[in-house]
Amino acid sequence: MRILIIEDDPETLSFIARGLSELGHQTVTSSDGRDGLFQATEGGFDALIVDRMLPGLDGLALVRALRAAGDTTPALMLTAIGGIADRVEGLEGGADDYLVKPFAFSELAARVQVLGRRQVAPAEPSRMAAGDIIIDLHRRSVTRAGQRVILQPREFALLAELVRNAGRVMTRTMLLERVWDFDFDPKTNIVETHLSRLRSKLNAGFETDAIETVRGAGYMIRNS
Amino acid sequence: MQGFSFRRWSRTTFGLVTIVGIVFALTTLAIGIIAFEATHEALEQQLDHRIATETASLIDEGDDGPDGVAAAIRRREAARSTASLDFRLVDSAGRLVAGSLDAVVPDKPGYIELLPYMRDGEQRIAQSLTTLLPSGHRLLVAADRAVIDEMDASLLKLFIGAFGVMLALGVGAAWVVGIVTRNRLSRIDTTAKAIIGGDLGRRMPVTGAGDEFDRVAETLNQMLDRIAVLMDNLRQVSSDVAHDLRTPLTRLHNRLDEALATDDRDTQRQAIEAATGQSRELLDIFAALLRIAEVEGMGVKAQFREMPLSELVDSIVETYRPDAEISGHILNKSIEPDLQMVGDRRLIQQLLSNLLDNALAHTPAGTTITVALDKPGEQTRIVVADDGPGVAQEETTNLFQRFTRGQRSRTSGGHGLGLALVAAIATAHGGKLKLTSNPGFEIMVEL
Repeated sequence: MRILIIEDDPETLSFIARGLSELGHQTVTSSDGRDGLFQATEGGFDALIVDRMLPGLDGLALVRALRAAGDTTPALMLTAIGGIADRVEGLEGGADDYLVKPFAFSELAARVQVLGRRQVAPAEPSRMAAGDIIIDLHRRSVTRAGQRVILQPREFALLAELVRNAGRVMTRTMLLERVWDFDFDPKTNIVETHLSRLRSKLNAGFETDAIETVRGAGYMIRNS
Repeated sequence: MQGFSFRRWSRTTFGLVTIVGIVFALTTLAIGIIAFEATHEALEQQLDHRIATETASLIDEGDDGPDGVAAAIRRREAARSTASLDFRLVDSAGRLVAGSLDAVVPDKPGYIELLPYMRDGEQRIAQSLTTLLPSGHRLLVAADRAVIDEMDASLLKLFIGAFGVMLALGVGAAWVVGIVTRNRLSRIDTTAKAIIGGDLGRRMPVTGAGDEFDRVAETLNQMLDRIAVLMDNLRQVSSDVAHDLRTPLTRLHNRLDEALATDDRDTQRQAIEAATGQSRELLDIFAALLRIAEVEGMGVKAQFREMPLSELVDSIVETYRPDAEISGHILNKSIEPDLQMVGDRRLIQQLLSNLLDNALAHTPAGTTITVALDKPGEQTRIVVADDGPGVAQEETTNLFQRFTRGQRSRTSGGHGLGLALVAAIATAHGGKLKLTSNPGFEIMVEL
């Protein structure tokens, strides 16, 4: 992916750029809001990583300006302020995702990966498949290799999120946000517990594990 | 110095009351003028009516001509009383036929409002009616205007007096009200200046009269009390934060020292991993503190929306059920269906989540945890209760403060921020928290 990173803190900027390059992405960097907006409008990026507070033009105004110009390049906003209102403002302003500093690099990488895909499939089909798993969102039914799997509503929502992002790592925080709508990290291991239940239901009678655990990052369902 | 400005003056209490006083006085004056005019007019009409009636009566009595009228006049004058009318009958040549009225009879018949005449050697004014008889005689009937003039004069005195009294009362009241207001306000002003000057314990004087000034003073005092509490809180929090961050920071520092001191890669790695854990913990404390501060700042109210509370509570309970089962807890729920509330969905989720986290972390296996939601009256109640060992009575009061850890959580970790956040969220939603532990542990949120 070709990614534009707009961040004024040189240390954070090089930390992100280096990490993404190591994952095989092409990165372009900018440390100023105006310059960043100019580069973003040149186009050709698969994703933008924009800091909330920037010199020249702040991140929120930058994303707003892009969206007003009809540019739909997915944008991930970074912020040091994890405020509730702040987050809503960022998402309403046109950012596709929001990440509070400090963050683990694996968290950022996973989110960028998921962002990049969004443009391709804007409308969600009612039937989705990943490997031998097929889920029907309308009938809320799941099959693995043709065998019906009975799931609790939360387990179904969790599986749907993994299938929707098949081939990409979903972190614990991403799952908390998307499946439970939690913007905080509970002390209880609800994600792990639900995943382990989902896993045992999906794997019953199968040799292979349907859900892959990516150490230190999150969980993933393979496409094939 | 600024010059006199009517605009400014008219907005002072003194100015306002003066204006009201003047307006009242002017209104009195206007009413006086109208009443005076009306009375004056009515008296004149009454007099005209008397004259006309008398004239008609004279002509009627003397229906055989001027002689009869003359006779009637003489009869009247013989029986005269002071308030009576005066008469003069003259022939066509203007010669006196009868009557004692000493005045020139007008040539033209009709009313004359101000007719001069002589009585007892002095000139007076009368109201008169001249009537032409068929014989060519002219009959003048007149009434002295002294009655009207006296009435006019006394009315005028009355109204001028009333106007003066109103004006004096208005201005006087203005002075009194102005002085009283200024005194009361200057006491509040003095107090406020003392507080600005640093005497934070001072409070506005309350006289106990229960008047507007007292109400304002009481409100201001409540505000000052609230500010004092917030400031104490802030002081407390800063020192708590400093104190509670010292431990993980020291550990972090020690671990890094350890990593530097050794050449063994494995030991180094372990030390750095432990240091990362410590810094993660520090960041978590900061995140929790920031969130509490944000919720306490009340800015979150802008995000409040109507939300299905029953569904939300049910969903959280179900989210925790697998974990409760694994840890050997019994999770019960009693949720009144279809309750709504206005609030921040995620914050209410976090409130419940924190309470359930606590219940699961601090009670032994086999404990029953009950989540209840109902609305018996105006208030919605969310209860998270357990039948575990509970906490000591003396601990219950401080548990909602930051960094307070009950005996039961000392061993099981936590920063003592969970319940502080629960309290902040409840307050932001206009709610109250009630904690009972006797034994068991129950927190009731009344929204």
